Amino acid sequence: MASELTCKELVELVTEYLDGQLPADELERFEEHLVYCGPCVTHIEQMRETIRVAGGLREEDLDAAVADDLLAAFRGWREGAA
Amino acid sequence: MTSAHFSSREDALLVDALRRGDEAAFVELVGRYGALMLRVARLYVPTRSVAEEVVQETWLGVLRGIDRFEGRSSFKTWLLRILTNIAKTRAVREGRSVPFSALAQAELETSEPSVDPDRFFPQGERWANYWASSPPRFDELPESQLLSSETLAVAREAIDGLPDAQRTVITMRDVAGFASEDVCEVLGLSEGNQRVLLHRARTRVRRALELHFKAGEA
Amino acid sequence: MKAFKFLLPGRVAPFSGFRWPVGEWVESGDEVACTAGIHACEAKHLSFWLLDELWEIELGESIARGRHKLVARSGRLTGRVEAWDMQAGDEFGAACVERVRELAARRPEAAGHLADLAGWAPHVRPAAVASLAARAFEAVQGENGYDDERAAQAAWLVGRLGLDVAA
Repeated sequence: MASELTCKELVELVTEYLDGQLPADELERFEEHLVYCGPCVTHIEQMRETIRVAGGLREEDLDAAVADDLLAAFRGWREGAA
Repeated sequence: MTSAHFSSREDALLVDALRRGDEAAFVELVGRYGALMLRVARLYVPTRSVAEEVVQETWLGVLRGIDRFEGRSSFKTWLLRILTNIAKTRAVREGRSVPFSALAQAELETSEPSVDPDRFFPQGERWANYWASSPPRFDELPESQLLSSETLAVAREAIDGLPDAQRTVITMRDVAGFASEDVCEVLGLSEGNQRVLLHRARTRVRRALELHFKAGEA
Repeated sequence: MKAFKFLLPGRVAPFSGFRWPVGEWVESGDEVACTAGIHACEAKHLSFWLLDELWEIELGESIARGRHKLVARSGRLTGRVEAWDMQAGDEFGAACVERVRELAARRPEAAGHLADLAGWAPHVRPAAVASLAARAFEAVQGENGYDDERAAQAAWLVGRLGLDVAA
């Protein structure tokens, strides 16, 4: 096994890294790599921004008809509970 | 721009209101999770209209069970758990019961590199497998561009174009903010498989964004 | 115990973004100092962590030892090693290139590595030169070559920076 992680290996591990799931030894090699490799730091920044953009998405609303049915169901439940 | 993640604390306040029969709270919760519920239900049952029925049944189940919800898990996890249970039962009735894990397995069978191999020095070269050139930074773009409706649309399109299991995992994790363990539980995935699907999904969205920003420079 | 810690400008930790105070004890779990303890290194592993600022750090109770790092429950920056500056970084890089030059003189298959390294060294960060040089040795002499070069890098740093490495 080579002493250092290659960039190609690192990019496969980014999600594990961001989830804090890299085992200690691998995490150390990963961090050491980031100390000397600007491009990999940039790649991880891109992933972080990607996650941020995804977090900015909102699901569209349900169809009005479906939403109306749900509201009716809610009111029915509330009457019953009263 | 605020994140679309709804915190468990915010949800808990709405749940309290819901218990008191607050209609606005119900409408708000449906607004938050209804569309996601429909997407997930649709993975199990054959048609959209059956999926809508599953969503309906789920909310009824939630209302009937709301007094028993102790808040040990987050509301949204509880909600999705009820949904998938109802969806699976319904799927059997519809004569179609492909578990989500089977769907995921099919996707996991193939492998795809996270980054175009062309971006690295090739095997056999002196510095094989290291970046041949640096990728462009996203975080140096102005905030207004990064979270513009245009950028969001690119991300939305990329996510919508993902295979089912990848799309579901990234939607639950990154769009809706579910925790890793909760996604695994709701979808019946191992941590490892969930992470592979998430990784691939994020990889594709990242690439779409990179191409989009690059095109903007041209 | 005494150890060393590299930080980004302004005493900022590279992975957590935490801004270190000087002279005050920091407990791991404090804010975002470090999720898994305070990280530092011994002198022999300095070349793995090269960043802008070098600090001496006093560590509290040990939690773990990584391959090239120490992990403790707490730490306190005791003083900056002012001798580690851009000039020293450039000299460090030049010294790495020299060792690879000597290697290439003995082992012609390292000639390509030398040419690349000599070209890049003035333009990349010291940590990159360190890694490239060590990998050049590894390509020719395997894991032992890698380890020897890393040791030579550490020895150079201790000497040039006048580091006190007594425990």
